[in-house]
Amino acid sequence: MAGGGAPVPESGGKGGKKKRPLDAVINVVPAIDLLACTISFLLFTAVWTQISRLQVQTGGAGGPAALDEKRQIQVTVTLADRGMTLATSAGASLEIPALGKGPDGQPLQDLKTLAQKLKQLKTEYPDQASVTVAAEDGILYVDLVRVIDTAVGAGLPAVSVTAAG
Amino acid sequence: MPIVLPGRRPAKRFESSKVLGGKLQHGRKSVNAELNVVPMVDMMTMLVIFLLMQFSATGEILYMQKDIKLPDAQHGQTIEMAPVVAISATQIVVSGQKVAEVADVEKGEDFSVPGLEERLRDEKKRWDFIHQNDPDREKNWKGDVNIQADQKVPFRILKRVMYTAGQAGYFNVNFATLDQSNVAAVPKPD
Repeated sequence: MAGGGAPVPESGGKGGKKKRPLDAVINVVPAIDLLACTISFLLFTAVWTQISRLQVQTGGAGGPAALDEKRQIQVTVTLADRGMTLATSAGASLEIPALGKGPDGQPLQDLKTLAQKLKQLKTEYPDQASVTVAAEDGILYVDLVRVIDTAVGAGLPAVSVTAAG
Repeated sequence: MPIVLPGRRPAKRFESSKVLGGKLQHGRKSVNAELNVVPMVDMMTMLVIFLLMQFSATGEILYMQKDIKLPDAQHGQTIEMAPVVAISATQIVVSGQKVAEVADVEKGEDFSVPGLEERLRDEKKRWDFIHQNDPDREKNWKGDVNIQADQKVPFRILKRVMYTAGQAGYFNVNFATLDQSNVAAVPKPD
């Protein structure tokens, strides 16, 4: 490659037979051209914001069909301004009150406790995959997404969303 | 990469000659130089590797809009191609076309959003037309719709949009979120 430092002497000692030079210059210009084109293409097509999706089903369509097949229960997380209620068809019901109000006046949901309880439920019912999130009208999209994300993170990927009440 | 002075210079085979090599300069100091391009090639290779790792074959399905701030999620899946319903604080847009005002949807007594339903039915008709020769068309219909809503959109708007999507045959709703799965893997400094 050109510019790679001092050339290595190729001739032998005094009086030796002169050898053909072994040094070669590799033309790197085409390689640089190719790299420049590739970088331009990749920069133009680069996706900088990584957007993902949280799949949900509407109107509680996720759970009931699978309920009869496996050992599962109906799990409902009711999302309201005052907090969350985790209820199961086994009769358990747990209130998870909101942690207070955020700087924008919106309630701060206790997602840590919810995640803990859902994981506990998952260990009790390993086949359980569905959960229904029932939200009140005033609940913001961000809170709904956080609850769904928590449920998916706790091993309940079949989330269905419905209106509370 | 050699940098040489433009003009006459000895041929390559005479470069090493004591007699013919370098005699065209008439005693002037040579301005020929060697440019070391190895670091530049290294840097470009690194850039290509980094950009290839960032490369997404699906491209941008959702375009970020100024008036829509997406919430974060850590357990999201890769987004797939489906009609996009964008809900901002003021309007509802389907695939870049405005279908309703949020204020009108909020005031309306009807649970369904007529403009949205019509637009989604058109999308479904288009899908049916494209797959008209597919014998398993009904089985292959997944009914996916992507909802790209602003963080502050209340559920009363969202439920109407979801209900309308269901009326139009789209039962699998995908909520678009900003992927934070990589961010979560890095522990926060104390």
